[in-house]
Amino acid sequence: MDKPTQHSRPPLLEVRELSLSFHQQEQIAAERVSFSIATGNTLGLVGASGSGKSSIARAIMRLLEPDSGEILFKGESIFQMDSQQLMATRQRIQLVFQEPSASLSPRRSIEQTLLEPLEHFDIGDKNYRHEKIRQTLQTVGLGQDVLRRYPHQFSAGQQQRISIARALVTDPELLIADEAVSSLDVSIQAQILQLIQTLQTEHSIAFLFISHDLAVIRQIVDHIAVMYRGQLLEQSPADTFFNEPAHPYSRALLSFACANEPLSAADGTWRLDRGRSSTDNSSACLFARLCPDKLAVCERLEPADHAIQHKNQHALGPHCVKCHLYDEVNANEN
Amino acid sequence: MSRPALKVKNLSVWFETGSARRKVVDNISFSINAGEATGLVGESGCGKSMTALAILGLLPASGASINTDGIEINGEDISTLSAVQKRAVLGRHIAMIFQQPGTALDPVFTVGQQISAVYRRHTGGNKQNIRQAMLDSLESVGFGQADDIATTYPHQLSGGMRQLVMIAMATVCKPAVIIADEPTTALDSSTRTLILQQLERLRTEYQTAILLVSHDLTVVRQSCRNVMVMYCGRLLEKTDCKSLFSHARHPYSAGLLSCIPQISINRPPAIHAIPGQVPNATELPAGCHFAPRCNRAEPQCQQSVPDFDIKDGSAVACFRPL
Repeated sequence: MDKPTQHSRPPLLEVRELSLSFHQQEQIAAERVSFSIATGNTLGLVGASGSGKSSIARAIMRLLEPDSGEILFKGESIFQMDSQQLMATRQRIQLVFQEPSASLSPRRSIEQTLLEPLEHFDIGDKNYRHEKIRQTLQTVGLGQDVLRRYPHQFSAGQQQRISIARALVTDPELLIADEAVSSLDVSIQAQILQLIQTLQTEHSIAFLFISHDLAVIRQIVDHIAVMYRGQLLEQSPADTFFNEPAHPYSRALLSFACANEPLSAADGTWRLDRGRSSTDNSSACLFARLCPDKLAVCERLEPADHAIQHKNQHALGPHCVKCHLYDEVNANEN
Repeated sequence: MSRPALKVKNLSVWFETGSARRKVVDNISFSINAGEATGLVGESGCGKSMTALAILGLLPASGASINTDGIEINGEDISTLSAVQKRAVLGRHIAMIFQQPGTALDPVFTVGQQISAVYRRHTGGNKQNIRQAMLDSLESVGFGQADDIATTYPHQLSGGMRQLVMIAMATVCKPAVIIADEPTTALDSSTRTLILQQLERLRTEYQTAILLVSHDLTVVRQSCRNVMVMYCGRLLEKTDCKSLFSHARHPYSAGLLSCIPQISINRPPAIHAIPGQVPNATELPAGCHFAPRCNRAEPQCQQSVPDFDIKDGSAVACFRPL
């Protein structure tokens, strides 16, 4: 995929040709995935469960070692870092998980929970830490009175605010939100999305926002990347994507999300996929089996990445799609 | 002519813990015709699942009290049946699809064994008939190689596949009523589409009445014709989906709608959230329970409970409807 050249300094996060697998490379989680996130920008990573979204998040935290490829944070490869550099980087990248009740320790008061990252990274003295916690609680819309209480005393929405506060106390530049609103009620989800919007505009925090819900993604992302069984099928500025999704898979996802009527069982071309193992290593496009616009070539050859040209391209950023339908378009432009 | 397959009359549920008495379902009535799907929506903790469990009689006898003037399936009251009598009804005439198929399925039996057990219990028949019914139900929910799937254990299947197995199990006896409690909440959007399509197929093919419990109005819109909005144990609005989405009359319904993120070509404006949160069931405010969070509330709302105002087949319990 083309490297973004319009940024003068290196992007905040750059993932280059990243491949990940499990069980001695039997189960493929990600295959040559590349994307980047500029400072203060938000990238939405969408895809079905099992498509490899969370594995990428874990690789960025270096909780997984890659088969190949690189991840650069501010131009520095995180896989080359020694433990001290890694520590400093992890302070700048924080994770928020899906299930707030499972990611907070039931035995720790909220104060202990929020103090831990500050102590772990050895940030500030006692006064600084307490002031920082006070400010952070204010940012996420909670009062001082929560400090002595325990996670079970809070509702799911408040617990998720506490999880976000824990991620914020170290002043991260990048927050990875892994399905952070998926388990919440719509009304609570709306409150947390409002909070994320505040963090984007007032604190200029960049987000890697992982979700399977396109409507949620639409609310808050600048760019979008669509994953399917370990591959990125389309990458696009959000406005372009929601106007004109290019890949047949993206179009299918969008049409499901936009349906306003009872779905008919007759549209049942959709089937469930199991995970991807290295044994089904055909050279076909991964989506060919389900694709409504399949060409003969799709069964034989894996498609290349094609850049799609738009007006205002410069302002919006690149639009890439991995699909044979765009072979010709590409040939004409060359 | 359509007839009510499920009719619930004045159902109330409360729990007593120590000295506290918590009313979690407050005098609700509704009916669902054969071949119709109705959604029951509301925030967590508003009594949706309790309603579902009370209809089936699955609430624990100790602690929970149920009061009702009747829960009828095709005209037969099941609320007065003894536990033994009820066993002949559950799974046969009314079935439930649970939110967490991972915990609702038994990990030590194969999928095929579990589905067969339901059919054997209610219909009997010889081994071959039972096996055929089991395979048919797996095939009908979209499994291509049903005999393969039948020999797997739940942990070998993905969340979406387990939910399909749950649907196959719930439908093996072709019940008149299916209650689906948040059937798609833990699933991604393409799997969700598949599950909703299967529910739609049941509705049209077998004329099953479906009660779909969900906090997600988008799901209800994609699978139901009618919808009921619940808050703190009470029904606030009963109407058809089209009217609710075009013109919600209760301020709470309108609030829920405004929380739904919209997909649009241009980046949408910031979404609205309903301020505050659902009150604890032990400290419910007097009058309309939604009044403290409502931007249209008047003094009257905090004193008395509004009755249903029925207009054009839709009902709303509000003094100041939109």
